[in-house]
Amino acid sequence: MNERDAPGLADDLAAAALSLARLFAAGATMWCTSPRWPAHGRHVAVEFVHPVIVGKRALPAVNIDCGDVIGAARLLARPGDVILAISAADDDAVGSLLRRSQAWGLTSFWLGAGRRPPTGTADQVIWLDGDDADVAARSGDVVMLYHLLWELTHVVFEHPGLLDAERVCTDDVCITCSDEGRLAEVAVVHEGSSAEVLAAGLRETVDISLVDQVRPGDLVLVHAGVALTVLPEHVA
Amino acid sequence: MSAEPTGFLYPFIDGDERDANSLLVDLAASAQAKMAESANLRAATLESLADLLRSAAEAMAHRFRHGGRLFTFGNGGSATDAEGTADLFRNPPRGRSLPAMSLVDDRAVLTALANDVGFELVFSRQVIAHARPGDIVMGFSTSGDSVNVLHAFEEATRRGLLTVGLSGYEGGAMANAGVVDHCLVVGSASVHRIQEAQDALVFELWSTVQLCLESVRS
Repeated sequence: MNERDAPGLADDLAAAALSLARLFAAGATMWCTSPRWPAHGRHVAVEFVHPVIVGKRALPAVNIDCGDVIGAARLLARPGDVILAISAADDDAVGSLLRRSQAWGLTSFWLGAGRRPPTGTADQVIWLDGDDADVAARSGDVVMLYHLLWELTHVVFEHPGLLDAERVCTDDVCITCSDEGRLAEVAVVHEGSSAEVLAAGLRETVDISLVDQVRPGDLVLVHAGVALTVLPEHVA
Repeated sequence: MSAEPTGFLYPFIDGDERDANSLLVDLAASAQAKMAESANLRAATLESLADLLRSAAEAMAHRFRHGGRLFTFGNGGSATDAEGTADLFRNPPRGRSLPAMSLVDDRAVLTALANDVGFELVFSRQVIAHARPGDIVMGFSTSGDSVNVLHAFEEATRRGLLTVGLSGYEGGAMANAGVVDHCLVVGSASVHRIQEAQDALVFELWSTVQLCLESVRS
């Protein structure tokens, strides 16, 4: 691994561990997937379910291993759950999964190596910058990242006072109460000009008269009950 | 035991702690120390095992050249290492694809054997079913003591297979004389750091096998 990256990466791991421990404490299940390196998804799930250190609590983590990861995660995950993807940044299916997981009310973690994913694609990004994601995935670097995430998450559990921190909006602009659009996934398109969408895990009906040809599964930006734009399938 | 900064591990007795900032600083310092420890262990392991690794790779390349296949196995996280290793040999990032399969992949076979004959025999029974004398087995166990892994090595040795073992701590039973042809031990007491170094060893082993196969062809 690249020594230069260590401080920023260590900060990202710390923040991710605090967030993950709080989500587990609130009852989250962690859904894992790693389409390009299938063994990693299983490895991270077994770490959390069956701790290597006796006495650490078993935490609900499940590897999703099927052709249609998006369909399975949409069906299985509940608002408040976690999605953890392990992949290279150029995995479009993973990018799409993580983006739409926001509409399902999930918190997303993206762990990987190589070229970094675009900013904002996941809530927590744990990344080893480098040239070759496949080498990092197979020579001990990527497994180290989720080992550390597990180790640090269990350290957070030793601090019960920090686990139930109130969810406060810390962004400069709160997207749920400002003029910004919210990301939503279209569930059902009705006759006429309305559709049912999922936004932050809740179903709502929105007006789709301003957008063309909306289909179930499309991601849209919603503001004040109106779908403003259909988002492209992949972020460049 | 490696020296780890463990001071922050002691739990707060009361639940009144509210400021996460000092915890975040501790977590980041811990992460950085562990990353350095992992990198150092991997480098030291590759260096100290260089000769052993070279001879294991040459023996594996010899078998692959004569039509041998690789079977991998292990439990838990080591099962995923077995799976990842078979994937690396079969679908390499470069070089030639080699016949490899993991004996942890088929849940019907695993549960049938576990249910009918016991978990200690889930790998050895598959060795009996699949293996031919020119084949290779590679078993993973961070303790070196996993019974089903040791049974599979015993069966493989009886059938003339090449046996390669990856272990940790001080090697465990896997490191005893005659258990495997090539035993690669990561000298650490942390299961996580052992697995990270085993990944590095397997990658180097795969890379050296590829070099051996190239040098014969040219």
